[in-house]
Amino acid sequence: MFVARSIAADHKDLIHDVSYDFHGRRMATCSSDQSVKVWDKSDNGEWNCTASWKTHSGSVWRVTWAHPEFGQVLASCSFDRTAAVWEEIVGESNDKQRGLSHWIKRTTLVDSRTSVTDVKFAPKHMGLMLTTCSADGVMRVYEAPDVMNLSQWSLQQEISSKLSCSCISWSPSSSRAHAPMIAVGSDDSNTAYSGKVHIYEYIENTRKYAKAENLMTVTDPVHDIAFAPNLGRSFHVLAIATKDVRIFKLIPLRKESAAGSSGPTKLQVQILAQFDNHNSQVWRVSWNISSTLLASSGDDGCVRLWKANYMDNWKCTAILRGDGSPVTGSSSQAAVPSTAGGPQHVLLQASSAGRKKAQLIPG
Amino acid sequence: MSGSKPDILWSPHHADRYVICDSELGLYRIGPVGSGETKAGALPLSVETAATLLAINSDTPYMKCVAWYPKHEPECLLAVGQANGRVVLTSLGQSHNSKCKELMGKEFVPKHARQCNTLAWNPVDSNWLAAGLDKHRADFSVLIWDISSKFSPEASVAAEKIRLSSGDTDSGLVVTKPLYELGQNDACLSLCWLPRDQKLLLAGMHRNLAIFDLRNTSQKTFVNTKAIQGVTVDPHFPDRVASFFEGQVAIWDLRKFEKPVLTLTEQPKPLTKVAWCPTRMGLLATLTRDSNIIRLYDMQHTPTPIGDETEPTIIERSVQPSNSLIGSFAWHPTSQNRMVVVSAANRVMTDFTVFERISLAWSSTTSLMWACGRHLYECAEGVGGEGTVEKDIATKMRQRAQSRYGHDTVQVWKNHLLAGGDDPQLKSLWYTLVPFPMQVSLMKQYTEDVEQKQQGSKQALVYSGIKNIVKSSSGTTENRRCWSGSDRQTDVPRFHSEERSLALRLCGWINRGPDINVEPFLRSLEGEGEWERAAAVALFNLDIRRAIQILNKGASAERGDLNLNVVAMALSGYTDEKSSLWREMCSSLRLQLKNPYLCVMFAFLTSEPGTYDGVLYESSVAVTDRVAFACMFLNDAQLPRYMEKLTSEMKEVGNLEGILLTGLTKDGVDLMESYVDRTGDVQTASFCMLKGSPGEVVKDPRVQCWIENYRNLLDAWRFWHKRAEFDIHRSKLDPSSKPLAQVFVSCNFCGKSISYSCSAMPHQGRGFSQYGVSGSPTKSKVTSCPGCRKPLPRCALCLMNMGTPVSNCPGTGKSDEKVDLTRENKLAQFNNWFTWCHNCRHGGHAGHILSWFRDHTECPVSACTCKCMQLDTTGNLVFLSRSQSD
Repeated sequence: MFVARSIAADHKDLIHDVSYDFHGRRMATCSSDQSVKVWDKSDNGEWNCTASWKTHSGSVWRVTWAHPEFGQVLASCSFDRTAAVWEEIVGESNDKQRGLSHWIKRTTLVDSRTSVTDVKFAPKHMGLMLTTCSADGVMRVYEAPDVMNLSQWSLQQEISSKLSCSCISWSPSSSRAHAPMIAVGSDDSNTAYSGKVHIYEYIENTRKYAKAENLMTVTDPVHDIAFAPNLGRSFHVLAIATKDVRIFKLIPLRKESAAGSSGPTKLQVQILAQFDNHNSQVWRVSWNISSTLLASSGDDGCVRLWKANYMDNWKCTAILRGDGSPVTGSSSQAAVPSTAGGPQHVLLQASSAGRKKAQLIPG
Repeated sequence: MSGSKPDILWSPHHADRYVICDSELGLYRIGPVGSGETKAGALPLSVETAATLLAINSDTPYMKCVAWYPKHEPECLLAVGQANGRVVLTSLGQSHNSKCKELMGKEFVPKHARQCNTLAWNPVDSNWLAAGLDKHRADFSVLIWDISSKFSPEASVAAEKIRLSSGDTDSGLVVTKPLYELGQNDACLSLCWLPRDQKLLLAGMHRNLAIFDLRNTSQKTFVNTKAIQGVTVDPHFPDRVASFFEGQVAIWDLRKFEKPVLTLTEQPKPLTKVAWCPTRMGLLATLTRDSNIIRLYDMQHTPTPIGDETEPTIIERSVQPSNSLIGSFAWHPTSQNRMVVVSAANRVMTDFTVFERISLAWSSTTSLMWACGRHLYECAEGVGGEGTVEKDIATKMRQRAQSRYGHDTVQVWKNHLLAGGDDPQLKSLWYTLVPFPMQVSLMKQYTEDVEQKQQGSKQALVYSGIKNIVKSSSGTTENRRCWSGSDRQTDVPRFHSEERSLALRLCGWINRGPDINVEPFLRSLEGEGEWERAAAVALFNLDIRRAIQILNKGASAERGDLNLNVVAMALSGYTDEKSSLWREMCSSLRLQLKNPYLCVMFAFLTSEPGTYDGVLYESSVAVTDRVAFACMFLNDAQLPRYMEKLTSEMKEVGNLEGILLTGLTKDGVDLMESYVDRTGDVQTASFCMLKGSPGEVVKDPRVQCWIENYRNLLDAWRFWHKRAEFDIHRSKLDPSSKPLAQVFVSCNFCGKSISYSCSAMPHQGRGFSQYGVSGSPTKSKVTSCPGCRKPLPRCALCLMNMGTPVSNCPGTGKSDEKVDLTRENKLAQFNNWFTWCHNCRHGGHAGHILSWFRDHTECPVSACTCKCMQLDTTGNLVFLSRSQSD
């Protein structure tokens, strides 16, 4: 079903993040070599690097695109304790003809005192806003009051949580029934502080974000977190990369009185799926546009794709090796029982049995 | 090492060879699986690789530690440290090199026998071999041997003593005089040479780490610590050293040696091995006892000794090469992040590559990009994905958007074909939505009552669902119908009313008219080969003979099921006697029938009138058939209750067949909400709900949200034309969704729009048409603002007030005459348009401005040096296309 193709990235060090723009025609990558590269997809499907520049004085952890209605805008965050906003400039030089575009730094957000671990733009209906989170456990919300002036960002709010933050995600729902929501994950390795995922909701009355939920069952370090594209659904779906892949369903309980919007909405939290097929740490999770496919990557060096059937039973539909090589032979034998589905605990047993089979061959 | 605990060493020069040492030494060569080189005895190490045993050496008992000679020649020379403290040189494989032969079997013997803990070859002066031994109060614990040393006569005397004590016969190969002796009355547990200088040796002594400088052996730098085991230098950062104690790893910076720069989180079990990855910066692998995982520490930043308080980012990872407990591991010297792992027991080996943390992202068009290490991989959904996995809804929606799904407003039912025609729910939905306006017109003819009621609630053209139709049912007549085509006397009560027959029509059972004639429906079912369903419908119309006939036909049809004949036979034996054997058997055996329609046929025949639960709650029977059945056989009390129950069931699961019941009402939106919750198919939801009443349904925030989400999807896929078509479709059905005018020209003085084209500004009230100004600029006659009557600005070229029609300017000359007439006509209207430069705000008639910039680059207004046209990228395009066409 899926065929992988390698692209010469030409980064001098590890790539930490890859991000598509709204249309999927542009891509940005960032790396430990302190640079960001922008890639454009040609009509024949090839990716061409059209810009590469040094963005920070440390490893660049994440890069993300703003909605194109705000222009061609990127944000990056780094070990150098800053986040930066970049805008592409067209027309002033002949760079475009040489296939290179010019990106200039519009602002540097220097409020953090430690490594900035994630940066994300808010969904477009909220205007031009972004959040950052940092290793000292502070989440910050910034807003550009004038979308034409990207050099002016005001710090709207700071929320400190004591636990070092590793990842952040905005709820993409544009439904008026849902208040803006941010989920923050912590990679603090002390499992005694329970609840590594905090969810904040915007309170209209106070114009601030307030804690709405703490997922107490997530006690291990969280490496990535992603709200699923809402697509008109009445609830939220949140994927979490921790020592396993977890999918949570957050159902806003409709308030009886519309006037009492002083506090955050109560959320009913359900766990939809939990998979430890990656054997160990899960590093990233990503949703497709309709939030029906989840991709995860983990310490087994594989990318796994998860899909739900109509009964909301999630199962693995594909396993791809991190180096693009196909999963063949005994390891795909191991994969087959896990794709056979069924309840989740059965699934786990099946896959470990499959591995054992693969192991017996050398012995 | 000692019997049970194996260790692995990679050959320093052959990337495909390694040695496993447990009770003996085994040399292996690694190669791809199934290649000609690998013999039948090859041991698979992974999916792709296998190892072949090349040589075994069991000459040296009591092995405690092994070190591989770092130089090319002799290539397979190993130093083995023994439990009695002796270091023996040995070799694997047959090397006929003379130097090797000379060295082979050479022994280096300490004065006092005790265990040899560690060995380290000097990487530069490869004749030097450092050995670390246990404590002896009268002896040194770090001995540096020169393997090339020729034993001097006096040394041989010493050797003589040793020989006598140890019983060694080969005196010529025993060396007892070390080059250097260090660390008196101390124990040495680990050793490594520092790459900074060949004469610096780092040793993990008893309770301290010491750096010995061989240029001045009387001095040593040391730091007291417990972490003295397994000292190892980072190959990428020569001042960084790792050592461990119990479960804790300490990282040292030799430039500030006073304390560890950091200690890693303590592990519950004692560590057995710590190794830096030779191919990747800052990656440290650790192994604890009795564990099947290797824990990796990814240090993202080289520590800076100069008082920088930044904490280095360490990412802790763990990998599980196999399920068995790991005895030892070794990084491959050159292959990226690769290691071989040997199990604690049975010498099971695994070839294993540690992947970098993979980051990934989906594009809006369902292709997946991930980054692994320095490489990028893109993975698009292949076209060859046969029906094994159901297509994702995003892919489906994309395909449906391209096939104009939802846009067929004339033959609404065709939309399910546009959607692919393989989804029974969508089929039911679009067939439900189809007949309605037609049904209303039919209703006008036959059921004036209902029609008026519906008019009263202003829902004339909006399908309100069978549930609401039968709710308003009145004047139901009950008539007992006999079985037709059979001679039985029993009759079954059937109910009848205008509303019920309307419902039957909506279900598709009957075509038109008040009389119930299902024959056309049966024929169409027969045509589609739905024999069981047709038979059931015939039976429900109390025509048992027709049902049997259909079943017979089905059995004899091509690829027909012969069992249908059996069913027909069973059917023909129908009797209404309560205690007959037939009844008894049918009610018990019917449950074994696989086809739901066959099942409900017997359920119907065996149930009492009025209690048809076996039919009504058989969920695999199509909703339309169940509803039609209910409309025929349930009385006025039962029917609404059943409808209510079925509706809530449909709402619960979001089954689109339920739209038949709910119609496009609030109930329908509820149902669609659970459908969207389940599938995310906002496309169907948007198109379907747009057909609902604009006031109630379309204005529902949920519906608006679906529409917005669908439009957003189309935008993300860059289907802008489809989005525009959707907007047009939407504004036809919901006029309020028409967007406001986006741009208009406002008067310099009063700020009001000078044109009157925007119908969305009705509040302006004043009809500008009185000034003769209308939307089309060609008709404009007035040169002043319709609001304040101040003159409009002048064209920068003709100096006439805007609003005057453009006169052909003579300056354009011949080039214009060449232009063909049709194009001239097209441009004629455009020539009158207002245009201005967004930079200098000078402008005029579009035609004039365009012809000006054909010959000029600067603005026509005096002293304005703005290069108006060059600022506009589309302006350049205009010239390009013109020059091409000329």
